[in-house]
Order: sequence, then C-alpha cells, then structure tokens
Amino acid sequence: MRRALSHLALAALALLIWEVVGRAQLVAMGALPAPSEILARWWIDRADYPPHATATAVSAAFGLLWGSAAGIGAGIVFAAWPLAARLFRGVNVALFALPPIAIVPVLVLCLSGSAPRIVLAALGCYFPVMAATTLGLTHVDPRVCDLVHAYGGGATAIFRFVRLRSALPVILSGLKVAAPNAVLGAILAEFGGGGRYGLGAYLIGSLGRADPARLWGIGLSATAMAGLAYFAFAQLSRGATSGARADTMAASLASDAGPDGGGRFERAIVAVAAALLPVAIWAGLTTAFHLPPLIAKSPAAVVDYLFASPASGLAQARLLGALAETLPIMLAGLLAGLACAFALALVGAFAPAVSRLLLPVSLVTQTMPLVALTPLLVLLFGRGLAVTIAITVSVTFFPAYVAISQGLALVPRAALDLPRAYGAPWWKEIWIVAAPASLPHLFAAARFGAARALLGVMIAEWLATGRGLGALLNQARGRLDYAMIWSVAVVAVLVSVTLYQLLLGAERLTLKRFGQ
Amino acid sequence: MRPTLDVVFEGVNKTFSLRGRPLRALEHVSVACPAGSFTALIGPSGCGKSTLLRLALGLESADDGRVAIGGRSPLVARRRGETGVAFQDAALLPWRSVETNIALPLDVIGKPRREARERIASLIRLVGLAGFEAALPRQLSGGMRQRVAIARALVTDPAVLFLDEPFGALDQILRRQMNIELQRVWLEGHATTLLVTHGIDEAAFLADRIVVMRDRPGRVATTIDVPFARPRGPSLFADPDFHRLCDTVAQALRSDPLE
Repeated sequence: MRRALSHLALAALALLIWEVVGRAQLVAMGALPAPSEILARWWIDRADYPPHATATAVSAAFGLLWGSAAGIGAGIVFAAWPLAARLFRGVNVALFALPPIAIVPVLVLCLSGSAPRIVLAALGCYFPVMAATTLGLTHVDPRVCDLVHAYGGGATAIFRFVRLRSALPVILSGLKVAAPNAVLGAILAEFGGGGRYGLGAYLIGSLGRADPARLWGIGLSATAMAGLAYFAFAQLSRGATSGARADTMAASLASDAGPDGGGRFERAIVAVAAALLPVAIWAGLTTAFHLPPLIAKSPAAVVDYLFASPASGLAQARLLGALAETLPIMLAGLLAGLACAFALALVGAFAPAVSRLLLPVSLVTQTMPLVALTPLLVLLFGRGLAVTIAITVSVTFFPAYVAISQGLALVPRAALDLPRAYGAPWWKEIWIVAAPASLPHLFAAARFGAARALLGVMIAEWLATGRGLGALLNQARGRLDYAMIWSVAVVAVLVSVTLYQLLLGAERLTLKRFGQ
Repeated sequence: MRPTLDVVFEGVNKTFSLRGRPLRALEHVSVACPAGSFTALIGPSGCGKSTLLRLALGLESADDGRVAIGGRSPLVARRRGETGVAFQDAALLPWRSVETNIALPLDVIGKPRREARERIASLIRLVGLAGFEAALPRQLSGGMRQRVAIARALVTDPAVLFLDEPFGALDQILRRQMNIELQRVWLEGHATTLLVTHGIDEAAFLADRIVVMRDRPGRVATTIDVPFARPRGPSLFADPDFHRLCDTVAQALRSDPLE
C-alpha cells in the first residue's frame, strides 16, 4: 500500500515536471507540450478520434484473432512433431525477424481494403503466440508425465491431462505480448496504406501541421489502446497462473524438442529444406492468388531484377548504398541500447532502488507501440541522425533492461551473496556471479533487439531522415518501382535473419564456454 | 479388496547409454517380493533402484531377464489398474484440487470418477486430509502434498504399490511421522509394496525385508529380514534391536568386496 502510494507520488511529480517543462517550452521549442495542453487539444479533436480509433482497434483485433489462431495451431503441431518445428524454423525466424514496415508496401500492393492492416497485425502476433504455445506444451513436469504413463496413459492422455492445462498460462502470457504487437502492426500498415481512417493514418495526416499537442494526443491514445490490450491479457494470464505454477521445482525440465535427431546427412537436408521453405511459400502465395506478375514479384523475378536485368547494376548500387547508411546506425543503436540495459540491470541487482525506479517505467514501455511514436521523436530530435539513434536505443533498451533484470532476479540470492561472504568488493561480485548469470538473458535480448532495431531505423528513415533502406522503400513506393519494393523487403528480412543467426551462433559458443 | 500379487525380477540386465558411452545400470538383478509383502530397496545414488522400479511400472524395458507382476507383464498389470505409484516430490497437478488430484489415475485408466467418490472420500480421511478436499496443492504444506500423493497411489485399490522415495523431500521429523502413517495405511490394504529409499531407519521401520544394492554396476548385495512384529509403533525407533538392525544395514551398505 505504501509502495503504491509512493509510486503515485512519483508519477504525480513526473507529471508536474512535465507540465512545467511543457509550459515553459524548454524542450526543442515546444515539441514537448504540457499534459494540460495535450488534454485540451484532445478535447477539441474529440470528434475525430472515434472513427480512427475504431478502425485501428478493429484491424488489430482481427489481426490478433487470426495471428493467435495460427500461432496456437502451429505451436501444437511443432510440439507434437519436432521435425515440423525444424522444417519451419526458417519460416519462423523470418516471421520473427522481419521488420514489419519492410513488407507494408508489398502487402498494400497485393491486398486491398483493411486486409494489409489485419495481415500485418496478425504477423506481429504469430511468433509470440506460437513460441509460447510450443514452450507451454513441451515444458511440463516430467514426473507427472511419468505418473500418467505409469497408469498406462499414452501421448494423448498426457496431452489431455497435463500439457494442455499447463500450457494455458504460458499461451496467455504470449497473447499478452502479442496484443500490443497487433496494435503496432495495424498502425504501421496505416502509415503506408493510404487508408482514410486509423490512428496511424491520423498521425501521418497530422504530421504536416506543426501541432505537437495533437501528435502527442494521438500517440498517447495509441499507447492507451495497446496498454489496455496488454493489461487485459495480463489479468487473464495471472488468473490462469495462480492455479498452475508448480509448487515444487522439478529436478529437470523436459528438454525442448530434444537434440536434433538423425545423422549429419539428415540434419543437413532438414536445414536446407528449412531455409528454402520461406522462399517456396513466397512463390506459392504469389501464384496461388493470381496476382499480376508486374505487381506481385516472384522470387525468380526479384533475383532476375537484382542480378540479370539491365537495371541490376543501378539497383544493386542503390540497395548497397542504402544498406551502408542503415546498418551502421542500426548496429550502433543496438549496441548502445544493450550496453545501457546491461549496465543498469547490473547496477539494479546491487542497488534495488535503481530497479524500483526504472523497472516499472520499462514495463510500461513494453506495452507502448514505441516505433509508432516516431513522429513524436521527430519533433523532439529533429530529422537528423539523432532521431534515428534515439528510436533505435529506445526500442532496444527497455525490453533488454526488463529481460536482463528479470533474469538476474532468478539467480539464487545465495549465489549472489557468496562472493560477498568472502569479502569480495562489489565489482568482483558482478564479475564472478551477476555478469555470467545474466549472459543468457543479454543474448536473448540482443536477438529480440536486433529485429526491433532494424524496424526502428527503417521507420525513422521512412518518416523522417530520408536516407537508408527505409527511405529507399518509401521512394520506390512513390515511384511505383515494384521490383525495388520487393527487393528492399527481401534485403531487410535477409539482414535481420542473418543478424539473428549470427547472434544465435555467438550465444551458443559463449554459453557453452560458461557451461550453461 | 482385490487379491494381492507378487512382484518378481529375474536376472534383469539394463544398460543405458550416457553421452554415447554404455552405462551398466543393472547387472543380473533378481528380487522376489511375495504377495502382500513390504520390500524396501536401499542403496547409494545411481545403484539402479529407481530403474528397477521403473521397469516394474513399464516405464522402461529390460535388456534381458524377466519382470513380472502376478506372473504377467507390467504392461498388463498397469492396464488393469493393478499398480499404484508415488514418486519423490508429490508431483501433483497444480491446477487440480486434492480430490481431483487423487482421481487422476482413474481419469487416465478411464474409470468414471462418480463410482469412486466414496473411495476417494475415505482415502482423504485415511491420510488425514478431511476438510481439504477442495484445496489446491499450493495451499498445502509439503507433508500434506505427500499424503495426497499416497492417497492417489491407493485410489485404484492397487494390488501392487510402488513408492519411489515418497518422503525424500521431507525433513526427518515429518518423515518419521509419515512413516508411521504409511504403515497404518498399508496395514489396511496389505498391497505388495516396493519402497525405494535412502533412509535406513525408514526401510527398517516399514519393510519386511530390506534389499541392499550396490552401484557400478547396480546389483543386489544382500537381503536382510526385518523381524519386528506389526503394527510397529513410534517406540520402535528407540528400540536397541531396531538400532542393531539399522547398523547391520549400514554395514551392508558400507562393506566393500575388496576389503
């Protein structure tokens, strides 16, 4: 109760400072309006909001529905047949890592109406729900499985009595992550969709009018929508968890999907098939929907455009030039975000006051469609390099900080206390216990962060700076340069997937070295 | 009450492969548990006593040798619901109540719960959990959870009962209390019982016979008969004869063939 009060007091203080700073126009000449000004503007615009908010909410809700259905279905299949999981690994990694903005123009070209928004929202939901479902179904108490087995129950009985119910809270917490993603996906599609209604369309439409208070009003409304969806599922998940957490620790959890089966030859075949499957699905989709080949480029057409056509030299030069602008910023932002998160999480492990202050803020940002707030950051940081870095750091820092802090909280207190019991100074405690213990979480955060960083940079480039891959995509869209639209999407996905794989490789090497 | 069955292991061999290397878990193990007897298996960690129990439950299969319950394969016995089992660390389903956790074996073998309602209620009374029928595992103490596991093992009215260190996670004080209760529960049914344990006094208090096992490879070292009359009371723990028997078991565990 006292803690809740102190949080309230802190929030009130922050609001007060914001109000003073806003009124005095201290930040970037009024780019940060006072809360009261935002509220006043919101009241004036109140008639505009319902159609926009409804459009976004409906797209996000349908996206959440389809994406979660696909995710749960796929999760069940992957849990039951590990080979399917291995075959679909390429598809899953691509869906996880692809920066949604990169495929917005492609979706807008190939689909009509609100379909691009729903698809993009669904794509944002699929991965977290699929991963949660697989995890929830496979990580069950092995002793209970033995018990069911000892009474003659087979795989079906174990699924029915054990797996399904113990997966429920995990799936719900996957939905909790997916819900804000759906809102983000819908808004991103609205950015590039040219539709009339939707918070994204409203935001883009208002970008030209130098009215920071309205932009903030829209941004905060989008955040509220995503936050509401998050907390609805958080409540459900909490309700389901209260009855479902194992009270005693199992000696060991059932290993996920087990080691890759088969010999080296079979593994190689599966790996190649997994890499080719996304391309095959892409080719299949473009032919199955009878889309005009001029607009819906097949894999072969993109390869032809980039390597065999008369324009290929120019196309390559533009793509590489854009990459050379995008990649360094993305990597710098990612590194800076992760480094800050790592350092602050370690500090927080030893100075709980820091994490008490920072963790709630970071948790709230999880629910924000942060990248959708790029226009606000443009107001604050201008249209130069600073805004790109600011976006990239902000999308990588908060999730990484939360992941590493929560990981560190799992380290047994005794392990952290042991060096101190032998009189070690604080830096030695960090070096010996806390840093190695948080490594797995740092790597997980890096893998998540890499995909988000590319998305952040591309959105900033698209909306603000006019450089790099994001701008190239936006220009190609304006010029109806279909082949280039597809090429940028493919390159963005490839960059993201490559980075993901590199980080995964580094993670495995490091964790092996640390015996985890 | 169904007739009890005997449990027989005859010349059982079992080899696991551990990181590509073969590991001899059991070498030519023969143990016979007569119908209605209480046998304790004791030995160092990794001597194969849990493996032996898993063979009898049909969770593993022997490389060669014979495992039989009432003259038939363990798979037949478990399909008929003749076996009951409790593992170390209650392993309750956290979302099920005391009542429905106890009913889990019935759900698995496909017996309607309705018919067993009376039996479940009496089992709950037997293990002293009356009033906690609707409680979830997290609302129970460690000892209470273990009592649920014991009741669950008995719900099918098994002819054979397998207990794999059922009180291994409890402290010594609670453990003695549970030993006394287990004996009381067992005396009501006299199911043939095979108890895997690390506790010398637990084995000596509960069993008719103690099978002492050795590791690397897992094999039977010796079998020690326990002569004390039943029912055995808490005073037995203070009896000099009881201590002498415990010393004999400890000696059997310690003695090395090379010495």
